[in-house]
Amino acid sequence: MFNLTQIEPAAPSRRDLIKALAFAVTATGGVIEDVAAAQHAHEETAATAKTTGGKYQPKAMNAAEYKTLERLAVIIVPADDVSGSGLDAGAPAFIDLLSSQNQQLAGIFHGGLAWLDGEMNKRYEKSFVAATEMQQIQMINLLVEAERHERLRVDEVAAVKRSSDNRDFANYTLRPVHPLAAGGHFFDWVRKMTVDAFYTSPIGMKDLNFMGNKAYSKYEVPNESLEYALKRSPFA
Amino acid sequence: LDGEPYTVGEGSQFQWFRSRIVGGRTNHYGRMSFRFSDYDFKPYTRDGLGFDWPISYEDIAPYYDKAEEFIGVCGSIEGIRSAPDGKFHTPPPPKVHETLIKKASDKLGIPCIPNRRAVITKAINGRAPCHYCGQCGRGCQTASAYSSSQVDIFPAMKTGLVKVFDNAMVAEVLTDANGKANGVLYVDKKTREHRVIRGRAVVLAASACESARILLNSKSSVFPNGLANGSGLVGRYLMDSVGFGLSGYVPALEGMPHYDTDGYGGAHLYMPWWEWENHNKLDFPRGYHIEIGGGYGMPGVGSYHGAARAYGYGADMKKNIRQRYGASIGFSGRGEMIPNALSYTEIDSSVVDQWGIPVLKFHFKWSDHEWRQARHMERTFTSIIESMGGKVQGLNNAQRESGGISIPGTIIHEVGTVKMGQNAKNSVLNGYTQAHEVKNLFVMDGGSFVSNPDKNPTLTINALAWRGSDYLAEEMRKGNV
Repeated sequence: MFNLTQIEPAAPSRRDLIKALAFAVTATGGVIEDVAAAQHAHEETAATAKTTGGKYQPKAMNAAEYKTLERLAVIIVPADDVSGSGLDAGAPAFIDLLSSQNQQLAGIFHGGLAWLDGEMNKRYEKSFVAATEMQQIQMINLLVEAERHERLRVDEVAAVKRSSDNRDFANYTLRPVHPLAAGGHFFDWVRKMTVDAFYTSPIGMKDLNFMGNKAYSKYEVPNESLEYALKRSPFA
Repeated sequence: LDGEPYTVGEGSQFQWFRSRIVGGRTNHYGRMSFRFSDYDFKPYTRDGLGFDWPISYEDIAPYYDKAEEFIGVCGSIEGIRSAPDGKFHTPPPPKVHETLIKKASDKLGIPCIPNRRAVITKAINGRAPCHYCGQCGRGCQTASAYSSSQVDIFPAMKTGLVKVFDNAMVAEVLTDANGKANGVLYVDKKTREHRVIRGRAVVLAASACESARILLNSKSSVFPNGLANGSGLVGRYLMDSVGFGLSGYVPALEGMPHYDTDGYGGAHLYMPWWEWENHNKLDFPRGYHIEIGGGYGMPGVGSYHGAARAYGYGADMKKNIRQRYGASIGFSGRGEMIPNALSYTEIDSSVVDQWGIPVLKFHFKWSDHEWRQARHMERTFTSIIESMGGKVQGLNNAQRESGGISIPGTIIHEVGTVKMGQNAKNSVLNGYTQAHEVKNLFVMDGGSFVSNPDKNPTLTINALAWRGSDYLAEEMRKGNV
């Protein structure tokens, strides 16, 4: 039987919440409804870094893999005059921590990083980290292109698959699989998780100037904002 | 849901969301609380499709009043036929992007009015008014946002008259030799033991499909096809809402002085259906309402995947995300589907869940009615966005075909499957949600729905349950149950 004394359950630990987030990242493809979920991961990486002299020690990735993630974090979200980089915001630690709690996610990163170094060696006889900045950028541009191509292709496959359920749409010519499809798929993962880590960090929240999550007795919309938008709208 | 599978028929898509917690999905739902219109109860009379309800708006209106006063709903008096007015708390003011959307809607002749959500702005029954933190989806600590756990169940337990058996997975409704319900058989999830609770009446409120599942699994010599299923209609006429969403970018909002757009946890305005007199000019029956998205949302996991994909990476991506933050708006249409014979659920007797209970198999088809309605949504949302000087994030053909209408089940408005009606031949329940064939059995969830108007179902479930409960109490007093 259920008693009212059970209404206040013991709060789940930070570790449980991180595990849940790590699981959800691969289960949903990376869109998590609980907007506060990532805060726990940032708190955890900061807390563990404190115990090891201020620098986060990777748990899931080896040193070379982690270095590659660090380089990618700077390329994907570079520092500018408003805020720091993906590395400053702790993106590699965020990815490593979640990978340490989710085998499937770890597999995506181990495999993807190995693929990247394989491709860099084929092209330049160097690992990604050892290559010149121009070579790195060339590679990333190819992966952006491959990822776009694959996304359109996946839409087409889904369309053909669903058209038999909905309506008869037969005239789709399916794109071929992109030669760098595996790399494009990995780049999408490293990019989305770097972006997630950055914008959910204190650095990223400040970059966007997020002002919510406060309590008020009365909700008001500032006139200044309203007038700004109205003046620039077709309803001026 | 781990250990609780369901199957889907070949050629169908269906996703079934379940919330196995005290209070169920009311703990985290959107809390949109819209009354059905008078015409929503007589759809067959109006257009010859589907079925009429055995009750009318006048029958349920007093219970809408009671439900709204009890759960607490914000709203305004508007006099719009598709969206009957109710007993409302004062709604919060519109946000900036909503004011622009209202101006665009005014221009297009679409009503855009304060939203009606089950969130209170003045204290009632010991519940504090909303403090505008925007976290309703996680459960509200002050119960300012309605949930049946905090507002119905816990206070009921405090009276000492209610016993709650939690973690109890009901397998069957038990019956006596005369076919009267006399209890339920359930699995205690903590011990995996079977137990029985006896009762004078049984009220199912397990969510539409789960209630159908329990009935279909409750076979006896009196009811070989499942309890109260002499009509063969248990499981039939499963409906979800037609869903379609489109977003756009509004340059007028770019660079606006930021403010807290959390509000009361959802959009402060919405658009009820407006073309109820103009169906001869449309290529689909019935209607939809429009829900609004936008504002400076809290950055979360997944918030910027779309932007990152659009801009690639690097300084340009970062600048664009910053510049566009809060300048995007989105619209979601929620429309009425026509019940059809190809959309139903049945028992898949080859599969059981981890509690040993045979699972449901779903079959679902959208028809051209729904597809055309979704295309009307697409055109409407495009017009609104363009009237605001915005740019639509349009769909290519493949995207339209794969995402042009929601995957069945994903709007989580699944209703029907235990429909009410005039008699035991054309329905399972009567207008009081009482089974025609079993007088002491009631189904007080969305299962009883005869149609699925473009009004999110929870408020109507509340009102029907209240009406059914009053009737049940009266029948018990009279000795009929």
